[in-house]
Amino acid sequence: MQNLTNEIVDKGLEVLNGHMDGKLLTHLNSCVHCGLCADSCVYYQAQPDARFIPAKKVDLVASIYRRYKTTTGKIFPGLVGARELNRETIDEMIDLLYGACTMCGRCVSHCSVGVDISYVVRKGREMLANMGFVPRTLQSTVDAAIQTGNNMGIATQEFIDTLKWLEEDLQYEVNDDTATIPLNEPGKDILYTLNPREPKFFPLSISAMAKVFFAAKESWTLSTQMYDVTNYAYYSGNLQEAAIIAQRLHDEMLKLQAKTCVLAECGHGSRAFRWEGPNYIQKNYPFEVITSVELLAKYIREGRIRLDPAKNRDKVTLHDPCNLARSGGIWKEQRYILKEAVSDFVEMNPYGLDNLCCGGGGGQLAMSEYNERRMKIGELKAEQIRKTGAKIVATPCHNCVDQLSQLNVTFKLGVQIKTLVEIVADALVLENR
Amino acid sequence: MSWYILFSIISLIICLTSLWFHLFRLIRFGHVKEFSYKTGDTKAAVRYAFTGAMSPAKKESAFLHLPTYTAGIFYHLGTFLCILLFILFLFGIEPAGWIRSVVIGFLLVTGMSGLSILIKRIANMELRALSNPDDYISNILVTAVQLLTAGILYYGAIAPVYFIAVSLLLLYLPLGKLKHTLYFFAARYHLGIFYGWRGVWPPK
Repeated sequence: MQNLTNEIVDKGLEVLNGHMDGKLLTHLNSCVHCGLCADSCVYYQAQPDARFIPAKKVDLVASIYRRYKTTTGKIFPGLVGARELNRETIDEMIDLLYGACTMCGRCVSHCSVGVDISYVVRKGREMLANMGFVPRTLQSTVDAAIQTGNNMGIATQEFIDTLKWLEEDLQYEVNDDTATIPLNEPGKDILYTLNPREPKFFPLSISAMAKVFFAAKESWTLSTQMYDVTNYAYYSGNLQEAAIIAQRLHDEMLKLQAKTCVLAECGHGSRAFRWEGPNYIQKNYPFEVITSVELLAKYIREGRIRLDPAKNRDKVTLHDPCNLARSGGIWKEQRYILKEAVSDFVEMNPYGLDNLCCGGGGGQLAMSEYNERRMKIGELKAEQIRKTGAKIVATPCHNCVDQLSQLNVTFKLGVQIKTLVEIVADALVLENR
Repeated sequence: MSWYILFSIISLIICLTSLWFHLFRLIRFGHVKEFSYKTGDTKAAVRYAFTGAMSPAKKESAFLHLPTYTAGIFYHLGTFLCILLFILFLFGIEPAGWIRSVVIGFLLVTGMSGLSILIKRIANMELRALSNPDDYISNILVTAVQLLTAGILYYGAIAPVYFIAVSLLLLYLPLGKLKHTLYFFAARYHLGIFYGWRGVWPPK
């Protein structure tokens, strides 16, 4: 770990100086340490320990604010629990803000006051990122995205080759040589993005979406230059790097003159580009941004695709990605889609806006040093799934797919994990052309 | 006018001025400029933040902890009542007859609620780990004022002790966590804006 100089500390404190606004000021001053948020946190539920209480995470950041920004904290630090931003504090921040929080936001709506705990955690991560204390494992994922254009470092030719065989596969499946996966075609209605996990590990979700686009007779394209929907800098807290990644997709939209950017099934990616992206680059987008979940629901509602739920007979349950549902307001659409696409749907408990995080968010999948904790909190989700008796777990997020797949193996759930589009593609009724 | 009443008036002015400073600073810092496109109704969400979202049925912090939640509600009601009575006392108005008895009884309940919350903070290892001296001082001051308000209604001779306790509370309020008196409302407001902007609140 690097030496801690005054210059470095000042960079951390810059978040509380130059970037201060009414919202941050409010949430740094609102926690009353009642501790009632504890039971709403998956980390605390999995390992009841005072360190994992969400209020403790807020207090880490707020205590630094009190030490440097309040008169009481400057004169009587011990009275109000004001802390120096020193090595000990930083170590604790790294462990708790990166390693013990997925920023799922479940504690926020249950907080007795209304402290936006995940917002404060993000600000704490920003402080750490400014000082250069992002865990190396997480930073390497960001670095890959910055250097190669996608977080898995997939070479462009490898990506194109994958898409070409997927296109052949699609033509064979729909028995139509005109079915294509268009690449870099300008002036289309939709520029579709991908989570790089798709071309790397789950190519069938790409062909599933291509099949849906084919059935809906959509005007769409993929970009081979900038297709990555993810933005791990949202997790690391490095705003400059987050802006670079968001700007690239923004610029690709303009270059290809697409009307709508459709975000693939990725919870944090959707949030990072749709909601945080304009703030990262400090401007509105001159195009529409929607998630593929909204698009699928729209296709079904407008009759652009026809589904036969009898094609999906197994019992299906749904895991809501936190960033899509709780922080994005999209939780009805996926239920509408599933009710149209499967014949037996069952909810988990709790679900929707109150759903438990699977443990894969917050950059946890990238930070292998916290694997043990991640699997521990995932056990709660595994039990939720087991209780439904479902054979298939649908989730519109590839990070969640990854985490749920690991839970499936570790806790011997014996289920299949699928994205929504895979389920929709399975239920598609194709017209004879 | 007695010196202790004058002291309490000065303390009140200092408290209000400090709170005004906090409010002014909040307004001056203003909103975070939001560049994304709004898809929800922020006004409705802010209303929901102060109403439906506060419902005990919606919060695990309430329905999983009913004794603490109930004690907290009583404690806060007692605090509001004490502030009102303090203002009335300054104008020489006091509740009389059966109303006085009811108020005394109610304040004893609210004071006990405050005390139970304090005992929980001391006894519970996890809460203790979360607490700093400010948490204890804030609770002790507010609980003391509630019990002393009941006391002065029963036995007027303790007026100096009562007014000094109120003064200490007023002087301490803007320094520690008691300033959530103001920030609570700002927190609910910002939460409403955040969820409302994205169409999360009010629930569809």
